[in-house]
Amino acid sequence: MLIYVSRRLLWTPVLLFFAGLFIFSLSSITPGDPAELMAGQRADPEAIERIRDRLGLNDPFMVQYLRYISDAFKGDLGESYRYRGRDVVELLAPRLKVSLELNIVSYFVTLIIGLPLGFWAAMRQGTWKDPTATTFMLLVYALPVFFTAPFLILVFALWLDWIPVSGWSGIFSTQAILPAVTLGVPGAFVFMRYMRASTLDVLGQEFVRTAHGKGMGHMTVNRRHIARNALIPIMTILGFSLAGMFGGSLIVELIYGIPGVARLSLEAVFQRDYPLLMALTILGTTMLALANLFTDIMYSVIDPRIRLRA
Amino acid sequence: MKKARFLGISLLAVLAMFAVACSSEEEPTSTPIPEPTATQVPTVVSTPPPARSERPTPTGQAKVAPELLQTPERVGDDKPTGGVFRRLWADPPTLDPALVTDGTSYAIVIELFSGLVKLTGESDDPIAMDLAESYSVSNEGKTYKFVLKEDLKFSDGSPLTASDFKWSWERAALPETESPIVDEFLGDIIGVQAIIDGEATTAEGIEVIDDHTLQVTIDAPKPYFIAKLTYPIAFVVNADNVTSGGENWTDDPVGTGPFVLKSYSIGERMILSKNPNYWGDPAYLDEVHMLLAGGSAMAMYENDEIDITGIGLADLERVTDPEEELSKDVVEVPPSFSTSYIGFNVEEAPFDDVHFRRALNFAVDKQLVANAVFSDLVRPATGVIPPGFVGFNPDLEGLAFDEEKAKEELAKSKYADPETRPRIVITLPGTGGSPSLTTEVVADMWRRTLEVDVEIQQVEWATFLQDLHRNRLQAFSLAWQADYPDPHTFVDVLFRTGSSINNTNYSNPEVDALLEQANIEADPVRRIKLYQEAEEMIVEDAAWLPLWWGVEGKVLVKQRVGGMTFPPLSVPIYQYVYIDG
Repeated sequence: MLIYVSRRLLWTPVLLFFAGLFIFSLSSITPGDPAELMAGQRADPEAIERIRDRLGLNDPFMVQYLRYISDAFKGDLGESYRYRGRDVVELLAPRLKVSLELNIVSYFVTLIIGLPLGFWAAMRQGTWKDPTATTFMLLVYALPVFFTAPFLILVFALWLDWIPVSGWSGIFSTQAILPAVTLGVPGAFVFMRYMRASTLDVLGQEFVRTAHGKGMGHMTVNRRHIARNALIPIMTILGFSLAGMFGGSLIVELIYGIPGVARLSLEAVFQRDYPLLMALTILGTTMLALANLFTDIMYSVIDPRIRLRA
Repeated sequence: MKKARFLGISLLAVLAMFAVACSSEEEPTSTPIPEPTATQVPTVVSTPPPARSERPTPTGQAKVAPELLQTPERVGDDKPTGGVFRRLWADPPTLDPALVTDGTSYAIVIELFSGLVKLTGESDDPIAMDLAESYSVSNEGKTYKFVLKEDLKFSDGSPLTASDFKWSWERAALPETESPIVDEFLGDIIGVQAIIDGEATTAEGIEVIDDHTLQVTIDAPKPYFIAKLTYPIAFVVNADNVTSGGENWTDDPVGTGPFVLKSYSIGERMILSKNPNYWGDPAYLDEVHMLLAGGSAMAMYENDEIDITGIGLADLERVTDPEEELSKDVVEVPPSFSTSYIGFNVEEAPFDDVHFRRALNFAVDKQLVANAVFSDLVRPATGVIPPGFVGFNPDLEGLAFDEEKAKEELAKSKYADPETRPRIVITLPGTGGSPSLTTEVVADMWRRTLEVDVEIQQVEWATFLQDLHRNRLQAFSLAWQADYPDPHTFVDVLFRTGSSINNTNYSNPEVDALLEQANIEADPVRRIKLYQEAEEMIVEDAAWLPLWWGVEGKVLVKQRVGGMTFPPLSVPIYQYVYIDG
């Protein structure tokens, strides 16, 4: 197990190297020159050339990449092109914090709606309530963010005037409510479906019948035997979907004016801010790799029949 | 499973990017501004309203709220002080005056820094003294002597003298400063070019006579030199501040503008506060908050989170409805000093033929487009210099719409035969997804009248810029806004042979000769005449299809906000803004 995990961890840098190489090579293929963007439309060619020199853009591609890698090993991810003189890490850190907060609070919304609802629906299988709830959540899931967000803004901020429509001041502020709902509620459908299926699985198990047969109260059986066992498979998808959710918050950040990574990454693309793009790539790849590993480990923890072989 | 959602998301992402893209890099003050597309006439939602905004132009088409007409006066006034003005903005690419070339940065830098002279935003008297008390010109127009105001101070309280200007200008020219425009703006000063080339560190053309007197010698009697000094690159910076702050000295800039930078968190918010050591009338406001994280501008405005916003097309009808409470907040923004155009690369077929270019000009009924597409928010351009600007020629008729003439010119051109005529590709910058309505209509008129094969191609700004610099574009849609109040900023920099911004590669020895003469002509009247002659030749040679002069817009401003002005060139505005109630 330990060997397996360490092997997987050792592979991560290799993965990063190639993911980085891919993004870095895009920078030499795509049109648009960061130096020209920095200098602006009217710059004279000499000024552009000076900037290119300083950024090292005139060196051969592999030289640039290897220099980047060696700097990265020393913990230096470079300076942003768009924000002159700013360390990429210094730019990313505060944004990342906000995006993480947003994702955590949305995730919380997802779970708190999805799991109980899935359980509830499974217990009512065969009645009209189950398909109604499922269909309703499916509808919510299908609604695009660019519809739900303005709708929520209109109702809760403009008509009812309860909450602000923009900004971010941490998880526990009123500003977090709308983004968390916009982002979290649709995802609840996915968890509801998993939870429902897994509860139905458990319902058919013999130990449930035994528990009932022993004369245990319904509530106790539901809580101790059914819900608990049904949650086990859910654990495995938790980690993975957390990593995936990160990309989904982009639009929500833009609509609600949340200073997360969204705007920064969009700018990085349009401004050809390659150091920033690279940092974002490394970050995303690392997160995915770790989430993947986490999922695999969870499988083996939950079901000892699954062996992780080195 | 996620396909449907992803599609929607990507669609929105594209929209959002559009907003991002046009807010910052495509709306430089002086450099090209996006041409008036249907979505841009009223400012796009979630884009900061244009950096420049204005007072009524002499053309007098704009109806402006009465308080906007007043020149703000401070003497014995009873306007309320204090309060915060909030607006959406975008992260400025730079706050270093020597590096500014874009509108987003420009609008902030002019609040924090200042120079010897400043723009007024008035047409008849465009330049006023700022840190200089007065100046005199001698040596046949080649030597400028500036006398500074008494007791000038930087925002940190340290005294400002003439040597600060010398230091600032020389520093702007140093190769390591990497100013992209120093050549054009300060290169006329004797000795500056040597600094740019790395051969010197001081310029003999900038002399400190005493603490209050600065003498500047330029290479030729160029009357527009003084106008160029209104650009941020000629502003004064504090040597201690710049050298001790290193590359990030603008995190805590020491300036001479009406405001100082109180705090800046990238992507979040920027707070400007009143400069306690400002030489002139102190600002009424305590602070200006620039929100940088974006958001839904209209919703934020309605929820009272910002005090000004552009109006998206989707909201235009609603907010202008007199029944609607919001309609009281609508303020019309008169056009800026800009000209939008379709530029022809005269080295590329079929634009290498003057008759063909003229045919394209004659074939477009701009008046019709202005009426039908833009509800007369734009004014059809007949030439290069916009109305209200120094050197505007009201008598210039240009190549006005005439189908017959268009066909005649086409027949005269070497591309008369449709079989051998190359197809035309118009490229425009942007990420909006739908190309601009103007370009569509123009292309359609070309197709109908001349039966040319036209294609419109939209590329994002980074690609556009590179292709433009490499002369890869055949025809392109852009706009140019004045940098300084002198015809030089239009006629010379855009059309002189060899100018780095001459993107059409237009080259006419006669025009060059006229410009050379005009650039050093001492008699202002004769000088304007020369520029106008050159302009007329350029128009007759059809290097451009001039489209519109300025774009009128509508914005919403909270009624408690007073003193808001919208000048046609970017000048500091927040100094005069006050919050009443």
